[in-house]
Amino acid sequence: MKLSFELNGIEHYLDVEPGEPLLSLLRRLGMKSVKEGCGTGDCGACTVLLDGRAVRSCLMVAPQVQGKRVMTLDGLGTVNDPHPLQEAFLECGAVQCGFCTPGMILVAYELLTRTSDPTPDDVRNAIAGNLCRCTGYVKIVDAVLRAAEWKREGRWR
Amino acid sequence: MRLTGIRRFHFARDAEEALSLLAAYDGGAALLAGGVDLLRSPRGDIEGVIDITRIGLSYVRESRGGLAIGATTTLTEILASAAAPAYAGGLLASALSQVAAPPLRNMATLGGALVSAHPWADIPTVLVALGAEVRWQGEKVGKAPVEELYGTAFRGLFRRAVALEVVLPPWEGAFAHEKISRTRYDIALLNACCGLGLDGEEIRWARVAVGARPNRGERLPWAEEALIGRKPGGELWNEVQRLVESRVEVGDDRRAGAAWRRRTAGVLVRRALARAAQRGET
Repeated sequence: MKLSFELNGIEHYLDVEPGEPLLSLLRRLGMKSVKEGCGTGDCGACTVLLDGRAVRSCLMVAPQVQGKRVMTLDGLGTVNDPHPLQEAFLECGAVQCGFCTPGMILVAYELLTRTSDPTPDDVRNAIAGNLCRCTGYVKIVDAVLRAAEWKREGRWR
Repeated sequence: MRLTGIRRFHFARDAEEALSLLAAYDGGAALLAGGVDLLRSPRGDIEGVIDITRIGLSYVRESRGGLAIGATTTLTEILASAAAPAYAGGLLASALSQVAAPPLRNMATLGGALVSAHPWADIPTVLVALGAEVRWQGEKVGKAPVEELYGTAFRGLFRRAVALEVVLPPWEGAFAHEKISRTRYDIALLNACCGLGLDGEEIRWARVAVGARPNRGERLPWAEEALIGRKPGGELWNEVQRLVESRVEVGDDRRAGAAWRRRTAGVLVRRALARAAQRGET
């Protein structure tokens, strides 16, 4: 079936199978930051933003994004031009194997679009559905709080 | 995603079209709202998926002192609505914010939770405690209290009908929800939802429901009777705790044992009553 949607700011018009998971479609389109972990919505590795809200792309089929805006980590920043939130993760040592990092950053991004002054508990609640098996969560929480601080200082674009 | 046999995807334009598509598939199609349960389901008999998220069923409205919530309204939309936070002493704000992690709340819908009605889920317990009604469209438009519906073979009904709206009645008083789970957003090992209305120094009405026993949330009418006409306070809450411990029907499953559930049900009811009374005073 025909599908049109916006992916990281670019309109896409393409054919998809009606039952194709959104996760597979995004990876087929080169968005390798979107990971398959559990495949049942529990781990958060496949998180993307749909019209600005974090969702699990493993629990959606491609047609559900018809006419909507999807953002993956690839749309947030690049290696040469990282988003301040990505820089905060690097600066705080919040990245180890990197498998959970895209999902962590996107749920944090959603939180920080709603508030620039989250408490550590707000951050823990926001990332509670995203599993990290390497770093633990302390550095990730630190990184999100650091990024929030930078946002309050006007360093976000 | 475990639902792998999908051959066709439809965006219904209204409930009638969703129903005629359901009928055309003769059991081989399912309605899609949030998709959290459907797409996790290992059912191999679903060929057609009918998306009902674009038929105007996403809203939260004040209705005769209560709330009317469209079936495809996500939990996040309810939490963000202007009307929900003040309802029933802030019950929805506190209970829904403990259901699943935020990205799943961005997807999961009230109608989906009502129809899936997992025995461990918090929402059925809350709806039963509140005396919620559900409106649906099947061959005819129907309406029933959620509590009554859960006593019937309701899953069969929703294979041939579209849930339209959940109506939450007005309550002069306050409710509180309590849940015990391994982590904040994990599914409940046990949950309770209690409401109280005070008339001066006396309890005028009471609602007590306990869920994840491991069975789905049900009201405990004998606990409610024990509260009505009494003076609220710690002594009464302790008395009801003991009553719940002695009479609540609980069972074992792989997540918790019956003895633990029995003891904990009393504790959760006591805590929920105390919080509801406190909320009712403010």
